[in-house]
Amino acid sequence: MAQGPSSEHARLIRKLETIAVLSDMERTALAGLPLRLKPFVENSDLTREGEAPTECCLIVEGLVCRYKLLGAGQRQIMSLHLPGDIPDLQSLHLGVMDHSMGSLTAGRAAYVPHAAVRDLSDRFPNLTAALWRDSLIDASVTREWLCGIGRRSAHQRIAHLICEVFVRSRALHLIEEKTFEFSITQAELGDALGLSTVHVNRVLQDLRADALITWRGKSILVLDWPRLRTAGDFDPAYLHLLGGAAF
Amino acid sequence: MMGTRLTSNLQLYGALSADEQRAVDGLVTSTRGVAAGEDLVVEGDTPMQCRVLLDGQAFRHRTLPDGRRQVMAFHIPGDVCDLQGMFLTMDHNVTALGPCEVGLIPHARLSDVMEAHPRIAQGFWRLSLVEAAIFREWMVGMGRRTAYARIAHLFCEMIVRLRAMGLVQQNRCHFPITQQHLSDALGLSAVHTNRTLQALRGEGLLSFQGGELAILDWPGLKAAGEFDDGYLHQAKIAAISAAGA
Repeated sequence: MAQGPSSEHARLIRKLETIAVLSDMERTALAGLPLRLKPFVENSDLTREGEAPTECCLIVEGLVCRYKLLGAGQRQIMSLHLPGDIPDLQSLHLGVMDHSMGSLTAGRAAYVPHAAVRDLSDRFPNLTAALWRDSLIDASVTREWLCGIGRRSAHQRIAHLICEVFVRSRALHLIEEKTFEFSITQAELGDALGLSTVHVNRVLQDLRADALITWRGKSILVLDWPRLRTAGDFDPAYLHLLGGAAF
Repeated sequence: MMGTRLTSNLQLYGALSADEQRAVDGLVTSTRGVAAGEDLVVEGDTPMQCRVLLDGQAFRHRTLPDGRRQVMAFHIPGDVCDLQGMFLTMDHNVTALGPCEVGLIPHARLSDVMEAHPRIAQGFWRLSLVEAAIFREWMVGMGRRTAYARIAHLFCEMIVRLRAMGLVQQNRCHFPITQQHLSDALGLSAVHTNRTLQALRGEGLLSFQGGELAILDWPGLKAAGEFDDGYLHQAKIAAISAAGA
């Protein structure tokens, strides 16, 4: 290849390579996907519940969540998405969105027409398998969060989520040393973990006081990984990352 | 035919041609009986075959290191309990709630059929996506709904799913779980579950005894559970597939 993939395509390829082995031909095919780039601002909806998207949304930059609003105005955040993720991959097969997708930070998305994904999938069965695998891992992460909200303490839940974002960021080559960007507010953490903001605040103070992490602005520095893992009862098996991506 | 339950389930989400129906019907190569409480799949397994429930019900669960258990799904006839085993190591257990009849589908056979019939492959992918939507809905419940709404919501979900499979008669269905399963599914204490169940009974919304569920006031129960069946994707997908056909 005279020219490598664009940085946006590279994000997608990197993501899929954390969960599947790709051939040169498959990488080239992915690098040829038509992408429509669009920036988004903080706290904006990328897709709303009830819509029927005709494109998949690849996150290129920024932090995105899936969420659902309840009648009483409460919000449950159901997953967090990092650059390389396609949070609405399900729209390829489930016509109508059963939740919304919103940004927690400003960033950029790249939209891929469903037709282009289908065409790719027809030509490369291994890519179909990789995308299906991605949606199964997504379900596995959902189950892990379900276990957390149902049965883990607030302390464990927060430590577990920090571990998860750390390991996923690392697999996506988004961290430097032991520092990674995690630009989420305490209210948003509460919405993800079924906790009040006050509770989140108290637990974060504990984690800092125990010298497990420091959280400065938008970045977290992991000070003591083994103890953070233990605090979160964290086992990365549910992320089903290939090879040494988990640790 | 051994596979027809599975065919009915797939067809909830999209029509299959006669040819595709025959291919799905033929997927199950053998069946076996499973006793109540017996594991169908165990955490850490890398199964060589998928297990589809033909009769009876089962549940997915995981036990945390400190012994607390989380139930993550209830499975009914037509469900494939371990579809993820096609691609991933099992990260949880599936156990029979009562006596079950299970159909076995060798992975190699499923792969062949999916390769020959892309719409069947899409259908199975869809099944796994609907499962994921149900997990998310449970998360919303545990994160943000009251105990009262959680229990009502679960019963609404089960009645809609069982009805779609033709397993509800006159608003009555078999749902052989104990209050312990209910607590472990909804993140509640046993006492809280018991008290809340009594409240729902007391209001004349349902009766639930000996594994038999009867819905006595459907609009009332739906309102109590803030239940909207959109996440089950049944009608909408069928409508889209029909329009696209």
